[in-house]
Amino acid sequence: MTEQEWTPDHGASAERTRLAWRRTGLSATVVGLLALRPAFHPDAGAAQWILAALSGLGWTFLIALAYRRARALRRRPPHPGRRAITAYALLVVALAALAGLVVML
Amino acid sequence: MTKSAASGRRRAFLTHPVNNQRVRLRSWIDPEKTPTVGRTPDYRFSLANERTFLAWIRTGLALVAGGLGCAQFLPPLPIAYLREIIAVSLLVLGGIVALRAVDHWARTERAMRLGEELPGSKFPAILAVVVALGALLLIVAVLLQSPR
Repeated sequence: MTEQEWTPDHGASAERTRLAWRRTGLSATVVGLLALRPAFHPDAGAAQWILAALSGLGWTFLIALAYRRARALRRRPPHPGRRAITAYALLVVALAALAGLVVML
Repeated sequence: MTKSAASGRRRAFLTHPVNNQRVRLRSWIDPEKTPTVGRTPDYRFSLANERTFLAWIRTGLALVAGGLGCAQFLPPLPIAYLREIIAVSLLVLGGIVALRAVDHWARTERAMRLGEELPGSKFPAILAVVVALGALLLIVAVLLQSPR
């Protein structure tokens, strides 16, 4: 792959993309907190605790991925996103599946 | 449209790399190498594609949050398990939105590398219809319940 020439980022596209990752992290945090909530119910059992722990782990990975990608965007010119994007989407799907268990148990 | 034209179109659809499932899955992992195609587009276009992906992921996350919210904050509804059915439908919809987001991102990235036309999609329209139908159902449910 040949290195592109750096064109001045007048549209602030790298910064806007960083902020988009931040926003997405905040949305993920809402989901993470809602998935944790049943574990604090007075009669929560082991199942609720395990599901909450797994959701917390998933949330941690989402935040870490977003942080790494936001840092990578400082490069000039930034590389297009690759595995981080697929991993993020698959983690969100996994979180949705976990949330399904949280709802049904 | 003649029959042969239709079968020719079908063959073209099946042999196009994007419609081969293995190529498609690999294109999610690494759109640049599946196969090594085209030229790296202007990074601003790639970042715009990435932001579109993130906007869709937030849509998916909002649906997941909505599903969890329904399960946790709605009172039990008159029909057995209706609350859980609503919650799980929203969660499934959220998962589908996330999968479709990464697929569309990979296809757009590939099209940009090849200088092809960007892939169109019926998905936003389908999602809009599904959400509208869900809203309609809820309106009916609220109207049926309110007099009591």
